[in-house]
Amino acid sequence: MSILANKDTRVVIQGGQAGVNAARRMAEFCYLIKRPLNVEAFVYPPDAGKTNEIPYGSGLIAIPVYKSIAEATKNHPTLNTSLVYIGADRAMKGGMEALDDSHIKVVSMITEGVPEKDAKILGAHARKLGKVFNGPSSIGIISAGACRLGVIGGAFDNLVLSKLYREGSFGVITKSGGLSNEIIWICSQFADGITTAIGIGGDAYPGTDYVSYLEMFENDPQTKAVVIVGEMGGDLEERAAEWYGAKKRRVKLIAVVSGFCQESLPKGMKFGHAGAKEGMKGEGSARSKSDALKKSGALVPPTFGALGPAIKETYEDLLESGQVKAPVEPAVLPRLPKTVEEAMKADEVMVAPLIRTTISDDRGDEPCYDGYPASELINKGYEIPHVIGLLWDKRLISKQEAEIIKRIMMLSADHGPCVSGAYATILAACAGIGLSQSVAAGMIMIGPRFGGAVTDAGRFFKYAVDNKMSVDEFLAYMKKNHGPVPGIGHRVKSLRNPDKRVKELVGYVKSLKIKTPCLDFALEVEKVTSVKKDNLILNVDGTMAAVLVDIGFPVDSLNGFFILSRTIGLIGHWVDQKRQDSRLIRLFDYLVNYAAPKRREVPPLK
Amino acid sequence: MAKVLEGPGMGLMKKWGINVPNYVVVTSVDELTKLGQVNEWLKKSKLVAKAHEALGSRFKLGLVKVDLDFKAAEAATKEMIGRQVGSITVTQVIVSEMIPHKEEYYCAVKSTREGSEILVANCGGIEVESNWERVKRLCLEIGQSPSPESLEKLSKEAGFSGALAKKMADFAGKMFACFDSEDAQYLEVNPVVLRAGDDELVALDAVTLLDGDAKFRHPDWNFAFAAEFGRAYSKQELEVMAVDSKIKGSVKFIEIPGGDTAMLPAGGGASVYYSDAVVARGGKLANYAEYSGDPPDWAVEVLTEKVCSLPGIRNIIVGGAIANFTDVKKTFGGIINGFRKAKSEGKLKNVKIWVRRGGPREKEGLDAMRALKDEGFDINVFDRNTPLTDIVDKALQAK
Repeated sequence: MSILANKDTRVVIQGGQAGVNAARRMAEFCYLIKRPLNVEAFVYPPDAGKTNEIPYGSGLIAIPVYKSIAEATKNHPTLNTSLVYIGADRAMKGGMEALDDSHIKVVSMITEGVPEKDAKILGAHARKLGKVFNGPSSIGIISAGACRLGVIGGAFDNLVLSKLYREGSFGVITKSGGLSNEIIWICSQFADGITTAIGIGGDAYPGTDYVSYLEMFENDPQTKAVVIVGEMGGDLEERAAEWYGAKKRRVKLIAVVSGFCQESLPKGMKFGHAGAKEGMKGEGSARSKSDALKKSGALVPPTFGALGPAIKETYEDLLESGQVKAPVEPAVLPRLPKTVEEAMKADEVMVAPLIRTTISDDRGDEPCYDGYPASELINKGYEIPHVIGLLWDKRLISKQEAEIIKRIMMLSADHGPCVSGAYATILAACAGIGLSQSVAAGMIMIGPRFGGAVTDAGRFFKYAVDNKMSVDEFLAYMKKNHGPVPGIGHRVKSLRNPDKRVKELVGYVKSLKIKTPCLDFALEVEKVTSVKKDNLILNVDGTMAAVLVDIGFPVDSLNGFFILSRTIGLIGHWVDQKRQDSRLIRLFDYLVNYAAPKRREVPPLK
Repeated sequence: MAKVLEGPGMGLMKKWGINVPNYVVVTSVDELTKLGQVNEWLKKSKLVAKAHEALGSRFKLGLVKVDLDFKAAEAATKEMIGRQVGSITVTQVIVSEMIPHKEEYYCAVKSTREGSEILVANCGGIEVESNWERVKRLCLEIGQSPSPESLEKLSKEAGFSGALAKKMADFAGKMFACFDSEDAQYLEVNPVVLRAGDDELVALDAVTLLDGDAKFRHPDWNFAFAAEFGRAYSKQELEVMAVDSKIKGSVKFIEIPGGDTAMLPAGGGASVYYSDAVVARGGKLANYAEYSGDPPDWAVEVLTEKVCSLPGIRNIIVGGAIANFTDVKKTFGGIINGFRKAKSEGKLKNVKIWVRRGGPREKEGLDAMRALKDEGFDINVFDRNTPLTDIVDKALQAK
């Protein structure tokens, strides 16, 4: 047997994420004791109508979320307990809602920082209705082998170590949430474990005090002794002592009280829980509580450390007198399935990776590009072109190469509003489309006729150089197999109206006195083609391509240089339109050649 | 529980219809001089000047001056502002009018488990403390308000009669209204005085403790809460409080000058048992600290730095029970970072560190602590099989 929480406890959790986390812990316990999940519903208006997925074993259970307690109990009439995880400013309203529902018999409030007045009102209301209001600031309630309410009991391993899968003989009542597990653990190591452990919360006026729970334990035949972990402040321990001393009790009482350090601290200094404050006339001090408990006949070890031996002594008496029998431990306990991560850490599974990367890794405190930490690159004077080199070609390029890339980017960052890419971005921007989509609209234009010839130009120039072709052989090869030479020809520029960008780039690269076989070949090609037609000049795509192949960039990365550079311009155009709050663009009729058939009658549908 | 200084405390009482003396809180003499030009009472009445700080024994320290005219009040203010008392600098002075009176009484409202209690006595000042049996009480359940009849009965029981009994009943009623509406935990007026001239009851000195947790529903609480132990919070304490107010979970830190055993335990409950153990073994606490509720590691790191910076420490107790949901690995990560930082700043020389803990990811956390040995820390690490406070015994025996 147990008190307050048992196998019939069906739970609704009021609250959001904290409540979901508690439900996970509760599901772990249910799994350990091989019982179905005891949480049936959540009440959390923002998520009403959704479900929360709670892991149970290796599966997931969907628990519905309702907007009110009434709705939850209507759909789940067996609900009898509510756990409140609502913020302090709304906790009282939530607690009242639960108490006022006829299905709910026990309300345990986990919320911390609830105003004292609210806690008193809730406690008084519960007493009036004959219900239990536990908390606020309660860590929860756990009955070994039967029911867990809240996170009390801790992680799965601790549940097993503390033998919470089966009943013991000791009841536990604590103000401190953190110490509840400690006492449960001590009871399992120095005795046969617990029946029920209750966190009543560390506030000054908890909704239910030691005496109410002592009374319940007294009436629970399985509980043979109760351990109270008290604190200075208030008079709950004195009341417990009064109860214990009033008449012969069936349960044995073991108690410790904290706060003796107060005696040697500067006057007025206090710490610990909100309730841990001494009265004006020394009442509520650790010493007066401890003395009262001793006087009542309770076993009061001098320190927390002596609690274990005191529990052991009590347990041995109980064994000797035949009141308890040594427990039989189950042979096999369920093991909580590990997550894939945990199992991998323990070298228990091998997972075939989904993707493979060879360029970057951000699992540490900062990203590494091809192994080099970004901050170190910055601090050692490397720049954007070097990052491009690392991520696109996995090598640290030279200062000179970086300068070439920088110039290429500067020359191709933008080309006015009329070209396909910029125009598409502007069109989208004027239609009120967002930055990334508008830039993507411009990006979509990059292809065989606009900006997308860099890779192909590089590929064919390289093919010619690698195969030591003459210009004539190359042009014949292209004509036969592929058509016009990518990188040659311009819509508006020509021999007489040369492209300044090409001149600039060629001039710079040539000044460096490096070997540029592709560029040299491309210029030879231009000499021949431009004679045939004066706009068949080496264009900026072709120049970039030849230079980039010459400094070793892989052919497949070449279009990337244009895409990257032009993104700068596209973003600029979007921001520019946005800044001007430009209107929607619609083509004028006179810009369209309407070549569709004249208006005619629609024949009857056959 | 949050203490409120006299100025804002009086303000709250005034709000609920309780007569209080005229007062002003100033931060400079100039401010007082200007106020004197617009507030006639400052020039006409006899005045009291007090340092408006969370300081005990102000009278003995010369930080209360009575029976002053305006010039003398200005002089007193000038003298008090900027005065250094221990770690506190006086920054505010409250100047209030003296109320001529013959009789002194007592009235208080305190929080009880059932609700509250109104206390009334027909003596006041120091007299009430030595005649506590003269204090009469009216117990109220939560949600219940005192009826005028019950208040008058209380007043008569306390020895008031005639018109005065009614006045005291009325005064107590207003005190209750203030207590109940302002989420107070303790209100005490000692003395309540009968003002010569108009025979009205006036609250002369007030202790106001409010429920800090209820601040969310009192937008007019525009004052800072004062430290409750007779000194102001130190810079380090305020820094930890600032972190505490920002995070999920909590970190707490109080300095205790002169100690040699530094505390860095987890949990509001366990931390006090650890402190008890230090005192029981004859150690001297250098501080109180506590972290709980799975706080972020950086917050624990800040707390650790403060603990490591305490002067003259020989041991650090990194204790803790078996946690429910605080991640031991993560919070210990914060502590370890704090330790490393302290060490790199030349701190922690000849300081022994004692660790005991359990809870989620306890093994990983404890292993990480143990590994600090290799970095030259003098650290001793124990798991759940060592009883909670045994590390304190070991630490204090070691010296």
